[in-house]
Amino acid sequence: MSRWDAPPWLALLVFAALAAVPSVLGDYWTGQMARYLLFGLFAASLALVWGRAGILCFGQAMFFGVGGYAMALLTLGVVDIPVLADAWAALGLAVLAATLFALLVGVFLFWGGGISGAYLAIVTLALAVILEQLVRGWYTLGADNGLSGVPPLPVGDNPWDPRPTYYVLLAIAAVLYAGLAMLLASRFGVLLTALRTNPQRLTYLGYSVVVLRIAAFVIGGAVAGLAGALFVATDAFASPSLIGFALSAEVLIWVALGGRSVLLAAFLAAILLRVAESYLSEALGEWWILALGLLFMLSVALAPHGLLATPLLWLRARRKPKGPAPA
Amino acid sequence: MALLELDSLHRHFGGVHAVDGIDLCLERGELRALIGPNGCGKSTLFNLITGALRPTSGRIRINERDIAGLPAHRIARLGVGRKFQVTSVFDELSVADNLRVAQGPRAALPIDALLTRLHLSERRDVPAGVLSHGERQWVEIGMVLAADPKLLLLDEPTAGMTSPETAATVDLIRDIAATGDVTVLVIEHDIGFLERLDCAVTVMAKGKILRTGSFVDVRADAEVRALYFGNAA
Repeated sequence: MSRWDAPPWLALLVFAALAAVPSVLGDYWTGQMARYLLFGLFAASLALVWGRAGILCFGQAMFFGVGGYAMALLTLGVVDIPVLADAWAALGLAVLAATLFALLVGVFLFWGGGISGAYLAIVTLALAVILEQLVRGWYTLGADNGLSGVPPLPVGDNPWDPRPTYYVLLAIAAVLYAGLAMLLASRFGVLLTALRTNPQRLTYLGYSVVVLRIAAFVIGGAVAGLAGALFVATDAFASPSLIGFALSAEVLIWVALGGRSVLLAAFLAAILLRVAESYLSEALGEWWILALGLLFMLSVALAPHGLLATPLLWLRARRKPKGPAPA
Repeated sequence: MALLELDSLHRHFGGVHAVDGIDLCLERGELRALIGPNGCGKSTLFNLITGALRPTSGRIRINERDIAGLPAHRIARLGVGRKFQVTSVFDELSVADNLRVAQGPRAALPIDALLTRLHLSERRDVPAGVLSHGERQWVEIGMVLAADPKLLLLDEPTAGMTSPETAATVDLIRDIAATGDVTVLVIEHDIGFLERLDCAVTVMAKGKILRTGSFVDVRADAEVRALYFGNAA
């Protein structure tokens, strides 16, 4: 049984198609797609935490937001450390901030017996709401207005040309996707599957379930933080909506719709749903959210593994008649 | 030298004395069967040794180390392998990956040799969830073996197996014990299994040890017969 969740050639095909976006879709869509790539990466982080490690995190936007705000504070000079005002140094520190924050939350959630299942979902949801309220009332962070005018990534000579930034973000997304896919195909990825399906057995084989859960949570937090930091630099704006409940719920829907057990499905679903939203929210107005809800219900009822992951799992099961699709 | 020492071990659940003063000593390489009626405290005893439960009082020493207060995964790392009564494997993982997870990063025994020994070579890439009940039991036994244990606790390893499978399991357990490195404590009800296993048998009743002796002696013991069949028998 191959440990790749999606065949590598399919991932290559997807990234090749994404590389063609600027020349096919033009400048406006290139700028939009640059943001969607980062939502895709954000969704992949949740696919690792939820789909693979079985941790239903209802507050994944916390890490996206912490990364984003850290990036904004450093590059805007609100936190005035000249060395770190450089975009790339700030990016590194923003990822570090999100990682440490995820470690803090992870220890709080999992230490001792820890909590899991619905309780974990509720607690992470509450944490995301609290964090959003905190940011909305924090003057240094711009409160409700957020922080605007975040400098763009220093890429290319012409700030009005979205293509260089797009290609850099695509390269970062591709490298991170490959890294995550390799991680999941490694021994560690196998342990995460074991963790999700039978933590008791793992304990009595000598593994610390707490350490594994925290490790998965922290890696997911770091990737989400990177996506958030890059998003804020691309969008030039860090707003409280990036850190709270709404985005946390949205990413959960993207991942569930795409297929939480397949990294590529989650990544692609986030991008496709954002594109669909751009088109359909004009045509449907406020009905768009209802359409998304209906699609979600249909997916849960008819393709619980996700709309994109189900055909993949079906293909794999057909190729290997002995092996059923993993649940 | 004693590998497992239980010293006046007690575990109470409210007023229920599930384990009520057990003294037990197993030598390195010893093979011992543990029998007793349902509810006599066998599984509670396993839970105490593996750290799933903490003793109300008394002491547990593994390799002369007191394991009081150690979490379950740390006790497992001391070389305590446990096969659960209800088969517990990783259903989504292939048989080979199940064994690899069990083995830890420092592989002692090649996976292929273990697969051959378990008669599972042809199933190595199949998810454990689709195997037959007996095969899943074997995968779990293989997993605890792959972890290179010093003490093996087997809770009804042949439950639901066909009789050829049971016979093969007995041979496997005897092989493991014959190496002299692994101490095996096995809970089983099946008389045929015990007879074939041919080792000392400890009988538990109401949280206490009633008798320890050879299978033949224990079977002939009047008190043990009364325990299983009632005084009328």
